Amino acid sequence: MFSTSKSKWVKRTILSAYFVCSAITFLIAQADSTQKSSGSDAATLEKGKTLFNQNCVQCHGLGEEAIVGPGLKGLLDRRSEAWLIPWIRNSQAVIKSGDTYAVELYKKYNNTVMPAYPDFSDADIKAIIAYIDTESKKAPTTAAAISTPGASEGAVAQESGATGYLNALLIVLVVILCLIIAVLGVLLSFIKKYVAQEKPDLSEEDKELLNPKFDFGAIFRSSAFITGAAIFLVLVMLKSLLDFALDVGIQQGYAPVQPIAFSHKLHAGEYKIECNYCHTGVDKGKQATIPGANTCMNCHGEIKRESPEIKKIYAAIENDQPIEWVRVHNLPDLAYFNHAQHVKVGQIQCSQCHGKVEEMEVVQQRATLTMGWCINCHRQTVVKAEGNAYYDKLMFAHRNQGGKQLKVENIGGLECSKCHY
Amino acid sequence: MMKRSLFVIIYTIALAILVSCQRGTNHPGYEFAPQMYVSKAYEPYSQVEGAKNPFNPLGINMREPAKNTIARRRYKTQFASNDSSKIERNLMIYNIHKDSIEIAEKKLTNPIPLTAEVLEEGKVLYTRFCQPCHGEAGDGQGTVAKLYKGVPNYSAGTYKNMNSGHIYHVITHGKGRMWPHGFLVNPEERWKIVYYVHKLQGNLTDEHLKAGKYPIVQTNNKDNKNNKDNQR
Repeated sequence: MFSTSKSKWVKRTILSAYFVCSAITFLIAQADSTQKSSGSDAATLEKGKTLFNQNCVQCHGLGEEAIVGPGLKGLLDRRSEAWLIPWIRNSQAVIKSGDTYAVELYKKYNNTVMPAYPDFSDADIKAIIAYIDTESKKAPTTAAAISTPGASEGAVAQESGATGYLNALLIVLVVILCLIIAVLGVLLSFIKKYVAQEKPDLSEEDKELLNPKFDFGAIFRSSAFITGAAIFLVLVMLKSLLDFALDVGIQQGYAPVQPIAFSHKLHAGEYKIECNYCHTGVDKGKQATIPGANTCMNCHGEIKRESPEIKKIYAAIENDQPIEWVRVHNLPDLAYFNHAQHVKVGQIQCSQCHGKVEEMEVVQQRATLTMGWCINCHRQTVVKAEGNAYYDKLMFAHRNQGGKQLKVENIGGLECSKCHY
Repeated sequence: MMKRSLFVIIYTIALAILVSCQRGTNHPGYEFAPQMYVSKAYEPYSQVEGAKNPFNPLGINMREPAKNTIARRRYKTQFASNDSSKIERNLMIYNIHKDSIEIAEKKLTNPIPLTAEVLEEGKVLYTRFCQPCHGEAGDGQGTVAKLYKGVPNYSAGTYKNMNSGHIYHVITHGKGRMWPHGFLVNPEERWKIVYYVHKLQGNLTDEHLKAGKYPIVQTNNKDNKNNKDNQR
C-alpha cells in the first residue's frame, strides 16, 4: 500500500518537473528570439551601452520624458538610421543644411546645441542606436532607473518618516501605560469589592491599607511645607534672574527666520555643496560674505523653478531689490575678527565655530562667541607653522626660549590690541 | 480657605511664568552697551536700525560702482617659490564677449606656469566650485548633477579635446545649461581650474608637469560654438 502511493508521488514529481523545465526552456528560447529579432549581438549592444552612458545619458533618457534633449523611446519609429547618423555626429551641420525636421527639433528644445561627436564612426553610432532601440523597448523599468529625480526627495521623506516613527512609538507607549493604569484601577476596585463582600472581619491595619485615611491637606497646611515652597519660589526667581543676566551679550541659540526658507541641510548636507561655493569671501577677507542672487541662479536658473521659495529669488532679481537675509552671527564692533586669517592661514574648519551647519534646516548660532571662548581656543590651538616660511624665524626664537609647541597665544593671540583697537 | 486657594493659584502662575521665561530662537537677546556693539561707521553687513545708511536706497551700506566702471587692477603674483616668470598685466581682466567663444579658443593661453602646487590648488578649487555638478572624476556624476541633468563627461566625445581657452571661457560665461561662474572665481583661480580640468580630461600628464606648461590644443570643432540663443 505504502510503496504504490510512493511510486505515484515520484511519477507526479517527475512529470511536474518536466513541465516546469520545458516551460523555462521555452521562455529562454523566446527571450533569445526577441534579442535576435533586434538584429544586434551582445557585443554591439555592450559597446552602445558604454558609449551611451559616456556621452548621451546626461541629456537623454530612454523613456518618453525629455530631460535636456528629447526622450529616445521609439527613436527608430521617428527617424531612420540614415538620418540619425549625420545628426548625431554633427547636429548643427544638419540644422544648417536646412533640414526641416532638424530645424523644428532645434527650435522645440529652446535652441539647445547638442555637442558634435566627430570622432564617432558609423559603427559607433549604429551601436548606440541599437542599444537605444533595444533598451527603449523595455523602457518602463530602465527609464525609471535612469531618471530618478524623486530619489533625493525619497531620502528626505524617509528621514522625516524616522522621526514620525519615533513619535508614533512614543504615543503607543503612552497609550499602553494609560491602559495599564486603567486595568490596575479596575483590578483594585474589584479587590476592594471582593474584600468588602467576602471578608468583613478584617483587622484595623488591613482596613487602613484598603482605605488609607492619609490627609494631604495637613501637609499643605504645615509651616514646613509653606516655608519650603517660598524658598523654592525665591530660588527659581534667582535662577531666572541669573540666567537672564548671563545671557546678556550672548546670542547662542539665535536662529532667526530667514526671508527665504533656504535649507543648509539640503544644500550642504544632502547635495554636499561646499560652504565656500556660496560664501566665497571666507578665505579672501574679513567677511565670509552672503551670496548674491546670481549664485542661487547658478542652479536655480534651471532647476526647481516652480517652487514658491525660489520664485522669491526671481522677484528679488526682477525688482533689483536685495534679499534681506538676517545675519545670525553678530560680533560686537569692539572686537575685530577676520575670516581669511582663521580659514586660510589657520586652516580651521568652518564647523569648529559654526557647528554642523550641514545638519541645520535653519542656521543657528552654536558657539557662544564670547571672549572667553576666543581666548580658550587661542590658548589651545597649535600654529600650523610647518612648511610656512613666514614662521621659520618665529619658531627658531620660540625654541631658543625653551618653548615647545608654537601656540596662538605665543604669537600674540592673547594681546588685547590684536582684536580690540 | 478662599484666601489659601487664591495664594496657591498665584504661586503656581508665578512659578510657571518664571520657568517658561526663555529667549525664543528668533530673538538675538540683549547687550550690555549697544552703542559699543553697533559700529558708528557704516559697515557692509550692518543690519541694526540706526546703523543703516540714510542716503543709499534700501538703507544698504554698499554702493554699486558707477556705470561703465572698468577694473584696472595691476596684477602681480608669484606662483612658486622659485618662479621668476612675469605674469601678463591684464590677467585679472577678461573682456572677450560671451558669444565669442571661438576667439577665446584661438587666442587664450594659460598665463600661469604649470607646477604641482598650481595643479593641487586647481584641484581644491575644482572640488569647491565644480565638483557638485561635474563630479569628482569629471564624469558629470556629481551629487547635484543627478537633479540638474545634462552635465557632460570631460573625458568623452568632443569634451576630451576642449582647449584651455574654451574651458576658461565656459567657466567665465557659462554654456548651455551651465550658468556663468566668473563672479565666483577670479581669473587666477579660473586658470588653475583649467589645468585640473585638463587632468580630468586625461590630457595633462606628468610630462607636461615636468615641462611646466601645457600645449595649446586647438579644437577643430567650428560648429560647436556658443550662439546667442543658447546663452541664457
